[in-house]
Order: sequence, then structure tokens, then C-alpha cells
Amino acid sequence: MRINSKRFLTRGLKVLALTLALGTASNAIAGLNIFTCEPEYAALAQELAPDARIYSATTAMQDPHQVQARPSLIAKMRQADLAICAGADLEIGWLPMLQMKSANAKVRSTDQGLFFAAEQIDTLDQMKSVNRSMGDVHAKGNPHLHFDPKRLLGVAEALTQKLTQVDPGSAAQYQANLVRFSQRWNDAIPRWEEKAKPLKGKKIIAYHSSFKYLFNWLGLEQVADLEPKPGIPPSSSHLASLLSRAKQGDVMAIVIASYQSERGADWLGERAELPVIVLPMSVGGNEQSVDLFSLYESAIDLLLAAK
Amino acid sequence: MTILTMRLMGVAAACAIFSINAVAEDSSLTNPAISAVLEGYYQSAERPMSERVEGFGLGHTEVAMSANIDDMFYGKLTAVIEMHDGETELGLEEAFIQTLAMPYGLSMRAGRFLSDIGYLNNQHVHTDAFSDRPAAYRAFLGSHYFDDGVRLSYVAPTDLYWTMGVEAFKGDNMRAADEHNERDFKSTGVYTAFTKIGGDAGINGSWQAGLSYLRNENGRMTAEEHEYAAVLEEHEHSHSAQYTGENTYVADFVYKWAPNGNYKYQHLSISGEFFRVTDFKPLEEELDENDAYGDEGKDYQDGWYLSGVYQLSPHWSAGLRYGQVGTQLMLDDHFDPQKLKETEVSLAWHQSHFSTVRLQYTNQQGSNFDGIEDDNIITLQYVMTLGAHGAHQF
Repeated sequence: MRINSKRFLTRGLKVLALTLALGTASNAIAGLNIFTCEPEYAALAQELAPDARIYSATTAMQDPHQVQARPSLIAKMRQADLAICAGADLEIGWLPMLQMKSANAKVRSTDQGLFFAAEQIDTLDQMKSVNRSMGDVHAKGNPHLHFDPKRLLGVAEALTQKLTQVDPGSAAQYQANLVRFSQRWNDAIPRWEEKAKPLKGKKIIAYHSSFKYLFNWLGLEQVADLEPKPGIPPSSSHLASLLSRAKQGDVMAIVIASYQSERGADWLGERAELPVIVLPMSVGGNEQSVDLFSLYESAIDLLLAAK
Repeated sequence: MTILTMRLMGVAAACAIFSINAVAEDSSLTNPAISAVLEGYYQSAERPMSERVEGFGLGHTEVAMSANIDDMFYGKLTAVIEMHDGETELGLEEAFIQTLAMPYGLSMRAGRFLSDIGYLNNQHVHTDAFSDRPAAYRAFLGSHYFDDGVRLSYVAPTDLYWTMGVEAFKGDNMRAADEHNERDFKSTGVYTAFTKIGGDAGINGSWQAGLSYLRNENGRMTAEEHEYAAVLEEHEHSHSAQYTGENTYVADFVYKWAPNGNYKYQHLSISGEFFRVTDFKPLEEELDENDAYGDEGKDYQDGWYLSGVYQLSPHWSAGLRYGQVGTQLMLDDHFDPQKLKETEVSLAWHQSHFSTVRLQYTNQQGSNFDGIEDDNIITLQYVMTLGAHGAHQF
């Protein structure tokens, strides 16, 4: 059996052309196709563009630093009109691979259908120089910015502009949705701040800088980190040093995110007699968190319960 | 006047320095992402078709640079420095450009790059969970097949991941042996076609399966290769495939699992590939009447492996792999079947996801394979990456 390679190639090209034709036909279904890297941006997109087809690459149970550039994500990104990600290098280990493999010119650059939340606001903890011996830190600042209500509102405004740019036909609708969201959000902020007042000045030990923006907003102080260095899991010697810190008696609780391991936190909590709080990292991180509003409510309730 | 010009120049220089700093943060702009891989090992014995030697050695020491060239093109350069018999060799493993903005999910790649056939081939060796590629890769693809050529690929706009592509390569490293330097090789020797599909299986699992075909115009052996075994000896450290044929078929699959799809703490990766290489025997018309290559022995060569790697914690991972390859060695008047079976266990320690120290045990069993005997091999290896954080493939 000898296969003629040229004939094989022509046949391959014909198949290719056919799938192309089919592909464009099925793509003609109306509505914007939105790909988000994290569920908080899927929730935000839901507020601003409720008619869009929205897909989140990760859940609140997954560490967004360590995501596989898996086939299903390539397939989703291939179809996207807009990709919304936290940015600040949070997705550097997988987003560039998805962009390369999905061959979708629309979501290639921020001039077009790519949107980085961290580029819209001032991030916390930006660094002048970064060295790997510091662990897996981000020079562009902390990317977990969705727990700051004012910064998130800034992101919502910028995202509305981006939606308008990508889908100018629905500009009025996006603007109306933003106005409605901002009103509800601005009403909620003082309510949350009032409720969280007893947390002000409280000290906590947390895992990573996942809730830096939440603590910053509510006036909580993270006195120690379960990770010896960002991205490095808690070691026994590090936990021992945390235990002596906790024994000073001024720490309120140990806080971890829904995707982080409870092992180190439980060990420390047991010995230091401190409550361990698992906060939802994002929408879907616990049963209560079904949208951005209930996510904030739930996080504050859980912190208050430990007080 | 001169002073003013000088001052302006100073300001301009300061601006230039400032702007360099400003863009230095983002490799997607004008500043390339530069990274290096450092690898070293100690191995208790030599393995067939492997680039590693007995004792201490340096593996793939690699320097890579990549960036978007403009809004249409991405480029990558990977240089590999290897030590062979006291000589330092500089090789180019990748030097390619890829389109970024073609419509309809199409993309093209040109230059030197890793072929997209099979599962492991387009992955960089330093991301492997074992010190060497499976025996089938070493026998049929020279560990990993990269070459000068072009690729056209297409990704379908479907929820089920579906990609397909065709490639054409120079194929120098895939040529059958030619010890008399008298063979008229085709200058474009290798054509490939591949397709992969994939998706998620629930929230915990993801999978991908692929089929590939490689046509090697120069893969068929010619008669009168009396010293073929001696030729093999000489090519031991090259990247060339050592057993070729005109047609190669590859089937591959991979399944990855992590609790809740969270890869931070534990995850499992199972992969396997099957190779079949046919049409390697010299054509009948080229043979003398006395020779009878065609009738004896199998008319195909094959190989496969199955690998499972489990990350127990962010610091530790363990792997188990079995693989075998069955090839046909051409002698004066007949083909001799040979077989190599490898069972491997590896244990790796990761301080971060940039550093790995690996201990590996390999049991190899050969029947008439390059004269190797059953052997137990211990490999101790480190693989570390520095510089830009590369994005990994599935």
C-alpha cells in the first residue's frame, strides 16, 4: 500500500475547507461570546451583558495560578468575542498558551477583545524589582482585586467601554446595565462597611495574599502568611514559627480561600486554638455566593461569625 | 547651542531608559521573554538510543527567547547546548515564526519547530516526568522530532476541542541510513497530517486524543547496507531517528485528573501512545535475486508506552511508565527482529514549579537490541528553569 502524499494533502485541504464552511455557519448564532479567566469576571459580565454567552475558565475551587491550558479551554477561547482576565501576570502560566492554540485573532490583544482588570485600576503591592527567591510574586501588583468594591466598580466602568467597543450595536443596553449595577453596588458599599465595622483593626493569619484587597478595605491586618513565600506551600518549620506568633494572643482567626488546602491551617488552628475560616475565593466558592453581591455578603458574614 | 543639544540628548537618553523600563514588564510588547533551562544528571549505565552517557553529564541546557514580533507574528528561538565526548555542541531546536491574526481559526508556523504529531512530541523535554523519552520516541523520532518546514493548523469553532493540521519538513533527520553517500534523497522528505480532539469529563477530568500520520519519502531502506549496525554506533548521539519507514501512524491519548479541577495540590496524568512504522524494507526491484528481505520477519515496526504520573503534594510527584519498541534490523540477507522493554519508576521533588530533582529507576530488557543486556539503571537528575515563566501545554 503506497499512499500518494500529494493526493493525501489535497484531500486533507478539502476536509479543512468543508469544516470551515460548517464552522462559520454554526458561529452565526446571535449574542456576544464571552470567555473569562475567573468566575468573578463571569459574574461581572453577567451584570453588564446578561444576554451574552459567558464561560468561566476556572471555578472558585481552583487555583487560578495553576490552570492547565486544556482542550476545553482552547475550544471555548476559539469561539470568544471577548476575553476578560484579572491580568497582572496571574494567568501567565496558561493564558498565552490558550491564545496561541486557539488561533482567535479577536482576543489576541487589549486593543481588541482582550480585557485585563488589573490594567484598569491601581493594584496593591506593586514591586520595583522582582526576584524568584521571593517566591511566585507579581511585579504588577496583587491581581486578586475583585474584593475591593471601589476598584471593582472602576473595572465595571472600563468593561462597559470594552463591551461597547466589541459590540457597538448594544451600547445603550450596556450603559443602562452599568447604571443599574453601579446604583445597586453603591447602595451596598456603605451597608457592608457598616456591618463590617466590628472587624476593623482585627488581626488575622491568612494563606497567600488572596484577600489582600478585602482586608485592606475592611481594615483587617494580616500579620502572617501560611505560605513561607508566595506560591510555596506551608512547611512544618514555617508553621511552627506561625504558632509562636499566634500565641501572642492578638490574632482573631486563620483565613484561607476556597481553593487552598486546609491542612496547614487546621494544624495551626488546633494548636493555637484559633478558628479557621474558609472564605469563598470567588462566586461559587460556597453555597451562598451566587453573584458578586452575595459573595461580599458571605465573606463578611463568615468573618463576623469568627469574631 | 551645543550645551542645549547635549541636554536634550541627555533627556532623550533618560526617556529611552525610562521607556525600556516601562515595557520591560510585559513580554507581549517589545521585550522578549528570555528563559533558560539547566539540567544535569548522574546515570549508572548507558541506555540505548539515548543522548545520555554513563556517569555525570549535562542534559538539555537550553536558552529560549520569544515575543510577539508585531500584531501579525510571534517568534521563538530556542538554542540547545549539549556536551558530547568533551565537545560542546550548539544546536537550534526552535527558530520559528507563527501567525497571530489569521481568520477562521487558522494559523501558520514556519521555520524550525517541533512537529505536532503524537502527544509528547510538541512538548519540551524539560517538562517530562521521566529523564528520557519512551523507547518508541527514541527509535522512531530521534527522541523528539523538530525540523525545518511549515505547518498549517485549524481549530474548529466547536465546544468539543477539535484541531487538525498538515506539516511539510526537510526531513534530514528522518532519512534512512546511507553509508555510501550515493542515495538521491528528496529535499522535502517528510509530510505529516494530524488531528486531535479533547474536552472535559466532569469538573475533575480533562482528556485529549489524537491521530497522526507521517509520510517519510526518504524513510525506506536501500539494499546493501552491510554495515548498518556499525552506522548505528556512530549516530548514537545525534537527533536522528534510528528506525525509519515510509509510513508512520501514531495514536495518542492523555487524561488528567485533579480534585475539583484544582491542580495546586494533587493531580494525576495518564498518557499513552502507539506507533506503527511500515514500508521500511528495500523495494523488491532493487534487490538481487538471492536476497529475500521481503518474506522474512514482520513488515512493520511498532512501539507503545503507557505512563501515569501522580503529584502527591506541591513538593512531590511520582511516576510509573512501561514502554516497548519492536524494530527490525537489516542484516546482509535478512531482517532480525529486536525488542526493547522498559519499566520505569520516578520520584521527583519540586521546591517550586521551577525546580525539580528526580530519582529514577529503569529496568530495561532487550532481546537482541543493539546488543544490550537486561539492566537496572538509576538516574539522578535536576531540571530547573529560570527567567520568564513559560506557559505549559496540556
